[in-house]
Parts: sequence; C-alpha cells; structure tokens
Amino acid sequence: MPARGARAMRRRSLLLSGAAVGGALLVGWSVLPPRSRLGSAALWSPEPGEVALNGWIKIAADGAVVLAMNRSEMGQGVHTALAMLVAEELDLPLARVRLQQAGHDAIFGSAESFVGFLPFHGDDREPGQETLTFRGARWMTLKFARELGINVTGGSASVADAWEPLRLAAATARARLLGVASLRWKLPVAELDVRDGVVSHASGPRTHYGELAEQAALSPPGDVTLKERAAYRLIGRPAQRIDLAEKCDGRAVFGLDVRLPGLVYASVLHAPMLGGSPATVDSDAALRQPGIERVVRLPPLGGAGAAIALVGRTTWHTREAARALQVQWREPPAGLLDSKRIEAALEAAAREAAAKERGFAFHSSGDSQAALAAASKRVEALYRAPYLAHATMEPMNCTARVAGGRVEVWAPTQVPGLARDAAARVAGVAPGAVTVHVTYLGGGFGRRLEVDFVAQAVRVALETAGRPVQLAWSREEDFTHDFYRPAGVALLRAGFDADGRLTVLEAHSAADALEPRWMERALPSLSGPVDAPDKTTVEGLYDLPYAIAHQRIAHVATRSGVPVGNWRSVGHSHNAFFAESFVDELAHAAGADPLRFRLGLLQHRPRHAAVLTLAAQKAGWGRPLRPGRARGLALHESFGTIVAQVVELSIADRQPRVHRVVCALDCGVVVHPQGVAQQVESSVVFGLSAALYGRIDIEGGVVRQQNFPDYPLLTLAQTPVIETHTVPSALPPSGMGEPALPPLAPAVANALFTLTGHRLRELPLAPLLASVRG
Amino acid sequence: MKLTINDRSVSVDDELTDPRMPLLWVLRDVLQMTGTKYGCGVAACGACTVLVDGAPVRSCVLPLSALQGKAVRTIEGLGGAAGPHPLQRAWVEHQVPQCGYCQSGMLMAAAALLEANREPSDADIDAAITNLCRCGSYPRVRSAIKAAARELAQRRRGARP
Repeated sequence: MPARGARAMRRRSLLLSGAAVGGALLVGWSVLPPRSRLGSAALWSPEPGEVALNGWIKIAADGAVVLAMNRSEMGQGVHTALAMLVAEELDLPLARVRLQQAGHDAIFGSAESFVGFLPFHGDDREPGQETLTFRGARWMTLKFARELGINVTGGSASVADAWEPLRLAAATARARLLGVASLRWKLPVAELDVRDGVVSHASGPRTHYGELAEQAALSPPGDVTLKERAAYRLIGRPAQRIDLAEKCDGRAVFGLDVRLPGLVYASVLHAPMLGGSPATVDSDAALRQPGIERVVRLPPLGGAGAAIALVGRTTWHTREAARALQVQWREPPAGLLDSKRIEAALEAAAREAAAKERGFAFHSSGDSQAALAAASKRVEALYRAPYLAHATMEPMNCTARVAGGRVEVWAPTQVPGLARDAAARVAGVAPGAVTVHVTYLGGGFGRRLEVDFVAQAVRVALETAGRPVQLAWSREEDFTHDFYRPAGVALLRAGFDADGRLTVLEAHSAADALEPRWMERALPSLSGPVDAPDKTTVEGLYDLPYAIAHQRIAHVATRSGVPVGNWRSVGHSHNAFFAESFVDELAHAAGADPLRFRLGLLQHRPRHAAVLTLAAQKAGWGRPLRPGRARGLALHESFGTIVAQVVELSIADRQPRVHRVVCALDCGVVVHPQGVAQQVESSVVFGLSAALYGRIDIEGGVVRQQNFPDYPLLTLAQTPVIETHTVPSALPPSGMGEPALPPLAPAVANALFTLTGHRLRELPLAPLLASVRG
Repeated sequence: MKLTINDRSVSVDDELTDPRMPLLWVLRDVLQMTGTKYGCGVAACGACTVLVDGAPVRSCVLPLSALQGKAVRTIEGLGGAAGPHPLQRAWVEHQVPQCGYCQSGMLMAAAALLEANREPSDADIDAAITNLCRCGSYPRVRSAIKAAARELAQRRRGARP
C-alpha cells in the first residue's frame, strides 16, 4: 500500500539525512586510517621504568605489558577478555598483562554500541549479506562514533569494539619490539621466536620485551599482521578470570569501598513520590543527632529529582539522622504517577494505533492489511510487560572531592567520560579539571549508564571544604529512584493462508521512549528538542528472523513521566517475550511442533536455524519427559548474537519450577569460553527473576517495591541446571552480556503452556500462573 | 568497647559509635574493613554475612551491643596464615565471582555451612545459602562448595595416622 510504503521510505530517508548530517560534520576531519585508532604514546602519563608504544600498550621494565583499560568491569568479565586479546598478539601469559585505567581520548570511545542504535532489520545486516544501505550507515556511524569518543561499557559491545584495535595495538607493539631484536642481533624477524614474552633465536640470543622497549618506542613497526586463528593459544581456550582472587578475600574495591583520609559520608533522601521535591525542610533535629555535620539541599541533578543529603561521620549516622529530618514534600506538577493507569493507557494506545494504522513503522514489507483480510485463519493477542528495577547488589554511590579548582571522583560507572562531564557541570569547572577513578562495579545492568549519583556526590563535595565525601543510597532509595525498564504493551496479529502458511504478521506496540530520556540526563549536549524514533524500545520485535511475506511492525512512543532507562538487554527484554510467545501460539494454531514451525520459517537464515537445532538436540527436544514436566523453546537475536534456549519445568505448590535451561548460541569467535558460559548463567538467573517475579508498581506516585523482600529474586535453591553450547563461527565476536536473557521468559511461558494449556501473556509469570489456575 | 575480630582484639571508640550501630557499619566505616558489604540493611540479601562465634550472621542488623565477648570472623580473616581457605581456592578454581559484590557474604555463609556439615547435600546447600546474587553465580557457588568439602575431607583423611 502506498501509504505504508511512504512511511517506510520516511524511515530510510530520516536515517540517511541523519547520516548526511554526520557526513557533513566529517568533512574536513580526516577519515582516520585504522592505525591512528591506536593513539600515541603521549596518551600515557610517563611512569619510571615503563615505555609506552602506543595509546593502548606500555611495556614495563620486567617485560610485562600494561594495557589501557577503557571498559568497566561489572561482572561480565571484560577485563579478562580484553587482556586476552592483547596477551594473544604479544605472546604473553595472561597474568603478564596488567591493567591501568584508560584516559578520555577518543580512541577509547565506543563505536559498536552506536551501530546497535541503527534501526536496521536483520535482512539488511545478516553477516555476509549486508545491504549497501546498512554498510554505508554502519561505516558512517563508526566514523562518527569514533570522532565523538564516548566511552560506554554497554550494549554488549566491548569485545566487538576491542576486537580489531586491541589486537592491532598489541601486534604493532610486538612488531616494533621484534624489529629492535632483529636489528640488535642482525637476525631476520621471521626467525625470531617469542614465548611468554621472551624473544629468542635458535642460535642463542634471548631477551624480553622490557629490554627492547625503549628502542622500540623510537622505531617504526614495519609490516604488522594479526595472528591467524589457527595460531591462537589463548583466544577460545579456557582461562582464569584475572579478577578472582581479590573478589574472594575482600580486597576488591567497589565504589562503596573507597576509603580516603578525612572521608565523610552522605545519605540521600529523595521525595517518596517520583518527581516530587522538598517544599520545606526543617533540619534542626537532624543536625542535633550525633555524628551529623550538615544537611545539603540537592537540586535536580543528572535526572535525579531534588533531594536532601545528610553528611556525617558514618553512613549509619547519616541514615539514623535522616529519620529526624522534617520535610514537607511537594507533589510533581504533572500529578502523581500510577503504573496501572499508565499500563491501561499503553494498551489503549496500542489498540488505537492498530485500528487507525498509527505508530511509527520500524519495519514493513508487502501489504499486511490486505494479507490479514485475505487470511483464512487469524490469530490476535495482546501482551504486556511491567516496569522493572535494576537492583544491582551494590546500591548507587559515588565518592567525590572538590579542592583547589580540581574535582576527583571515584565511581562505579559504565560511562567515565559522561561522569566526568557531569561532575564538571556541577562543579563549574572544565572537564579537564576532573579526574574519574573507575572502581569495580557491584553490578551495572544499565543502571550505571546514568550519572545522577555522580552529580549528587560532586554537589555535596562542594560543601565539605575540600574533604572527600562518599554519597551512598540506601537500598530503598535505589529501588524507588531507579530508571526503570519501561512497561510495554504489544497487540500482535498474524494470518495463515488457505494452505496453512504463515503469511502476515502485524505488531502494534506502545512504550515510553527511553534513549532520548537517557540522552537528556547523561549526554545533554547531544540531546535534541524532538525525540528521534527510538529503536531500542522496539528492538527484538521489528527485526524477527522469520520469513513472513507481509509485515507491519509499528510502535507508538509514549512519555508517561516515569523515569525509564536501559535495563539489561533493553527493548529485547520484553519484546522477545512478546514475539517468541506469539510465534509459539502460531505454531500451536498451525498444529505444528514449535521447533519445526520455526525451522520452516528460517530457511533463509542458516545461522539461526543452526543455533535452534543445536539447542533442541542438546535438550532432547521431542523426547519423552517424566510426568509433570514440559519443555518450551525460544530463539532470539540481540546485540549480534543468536541465542536459543530450551527450558524444562514443572509446577510445585502452584509455582513454576525450572529444572534445566539448555542454551545454544552463535556469538562469532568465542574469546573467553568460561566468560561466555558465565554470561549465559548470569542472564538466565537474571532473566528468571524477571520472568517469574519481577515487577515495579507505582501507586500514588510511590514505587511500592522498596527492598528485596518486595522484589523477589531467584535464589540458589531455585536455580536450574544451565548448559551452554556454542556454534563454531569465524565471524568477529558479538555481544554476550545480554543476549542470553531475552529468550528465557518466552521459553518459560511456552513450556508452561505445554504443561498447563494456559497461555500467559503478561509478565511476571508466577503470580499470573497462580491466578489462572486458581 | 573491645571486639574480637579475626582473632585480634580491636578497640572501637565509644565516642564515635553507638551501641545500636550495626556491626556492618562499624566494620566498614569505623574500622575501614570494607570486605563485608552493604546490600539491603534488612537481613534479606546476605551480602553482609560474617561469622559470630562460628555462626553466620547478617551484620547489617546486628547491634554492636550484642557483640560483647563474642568472636567475629570476616572475609578478611577467612583464610589464615597458611593461605586461602579451601573455599576461596575452590571459588577461584570454579570461577564463581562475576561482579563479586555478594561473594564475601556467600563465602562466609559457605564457611559456616562446612563448619557445621562436612558433606553438605544439594538440599543442605539450598537451605544454607540464602544469599542473593544478581549476577547468577549460584550454580558455581554450589559446585565450589562441594569441591571445597571434598578437599577438606581429603585433608582429614591425610591427617589421619
């Protein structure tokens, strides 16, 4: 239909005009050759005994290698994986790579995460078959992102981002070091052997990197080649994470563990209702409490509402004194939020969009309306997902010191550069006057892409006369002032033709736009007055891998006022539940086995079919189970990685009990196999907590779930056996921190349907199951 | 007030503390022993687990006043002069930690379990390890506890004449 065709064109032209703007900005900037992504030795501050060979690599006197670590370790194992890339190319044992936090140069910025924002369909970007439009947009985005140099540990992109530049940086360093040995010994490079950082020649001479480094810094690298895959000793092999020992004896320093001379502690009190602010504050009684030195009014900062901070001798003293604070809170001018009302409005918006062909079409092909009208069998269903909290085990916190025109920040952050900018804005200094120390993160999951807690800490530090202050949120503040995974609704429709073939799929979804809100808070300089279509809320719904001739996947972006943000796997987290539950419904409507039904729609996607087949084989799909058990499966691609899961479960005491999760995946080259397995386990446990129990309710403006007893998480006793199987691949590595999460909820729901005959179309599943089964 | 922490007598300045102050904050903010973590403040998550006279206790709700004459062991004192505790070795071997924030509490709860039960079954582990982990280290916690139990059993056999 012309109207829809035009809409699809608008998306493309919008995208391309955006790219053209980027292109215009790029004119005059050199399009940098790959080697300039290595940066210069001058990016390091000189330290005695160490020689920098480029922006990423320094050589220590003992021959060890120091790697500039630009990514935050929040459990995903990124420090280990990136160190492995460097150790591989330099022929060093992993233990000989030391990490030092990278600075703020653009070479340390993120690029692949931004490519992930592009609203392309899988048909445009399937590796090896990329369309010209996608290749152009990807190239432009990578160049643009590298110029911007925004450092984000997120979007499951760290290994993908590091894959080329880090190996190149290490290989270039190695070439220079070997070049020096070759000159020194008058022996050809090709005859030199490197083992564990020791360079030698069969004729006798031996030395190590530390003795070659000074001269290497003055020598050109000559020809640089990356190792062939067959020569890998580390990549793809078992390796011990480099952060384990200190995480087992209490030494690891998280944000809350920063201890500095003269440190004072601060608690924060936000309005109980979202968007509220303190009207009057009587702090006299609080200030009379022992160990309390001051009360600081905080304006709205970094997305956090206006709040009050109490500063004192210990965190406990400040929390005790907070009870004595007398505050009258002002309700938000827009009124008190209510999640039930918002969810009803989302449903109304989705239904209206479906009736009136509204919403922004992120994908359309063929003529879905005509195909639905002509279908001999139609299926329609409405799916819902609630708000969710991140609930990192380490609550939000930041330590800051403002003295002598300089700001120093110790933060568990996924965005050190944006944290620096936020600190500079609050303190009224140039970003160059701010130093950010990134600690270990006690979980991130997207919550630490925000800078609210950093801005608050710096604001309080402005009042403490040069003494450092550690601002720490209580668990209750953390739950009730999160940037939540948005609630979402999708009305899905499909039709089969007279031959029983699935011919048409329509989705009309509604949810709050989230990246524009995140940009306003964390990246205000790039935030525009009008929201661009936000792909992240529709991802995993508009880009299904299945061959369905007629599709229209449209979305209504809303703005409810609830603070929303990036929650592990972002839009995929609920869209996979919508899509893969519905596909299961379609299989049952077609009277087909859910595995065979999917494989029938995947003939043009051999990678997806291979992953699904592997999961089914390993799980024994189709084989009899003991009575009272059932299996369910789901397939989902996110962050470049394809994941299929088969869940085996039963019901005990009216509660779902998941016994086994078999996971197969294709993430390109596997760098760290145990890291991949850990991320699968992590995503399954995180995903099960959300699928079975997770929900945030807002009543009268107040978030009802205040602490863990109100927001149940999976426990060890409830954790299933989790198996990870990877499909061998020669493609560059793709994401692993998030992709194993999205298919979990639909796999569980599909198994519950097989077991009970009840199709559960709303998350979380456990209370819903209890209610439908009475 | 005097406390016994990790076999050492430690003085806590009464001026700086309060009998109601939970042990967690005394450790973290007064004694600067930050291995023990704050997670919830309501004894729900177990990140603050320490041993008091050998029993696992959630230190975020344990007032200082209750500690007179008791022996506290924290993650900093889990290993000994002889090196890491078998659980710590098993934790590394089985690559248990991810973010690591909950692991001090996990290890202390596991240590208490092995003190009380040399050969814990899956059900015993389920019952004893109620600590929350957001990264999903649970399956590895289970295997590491079993591995440490095996190592301790071997040691006992080896020690026998």
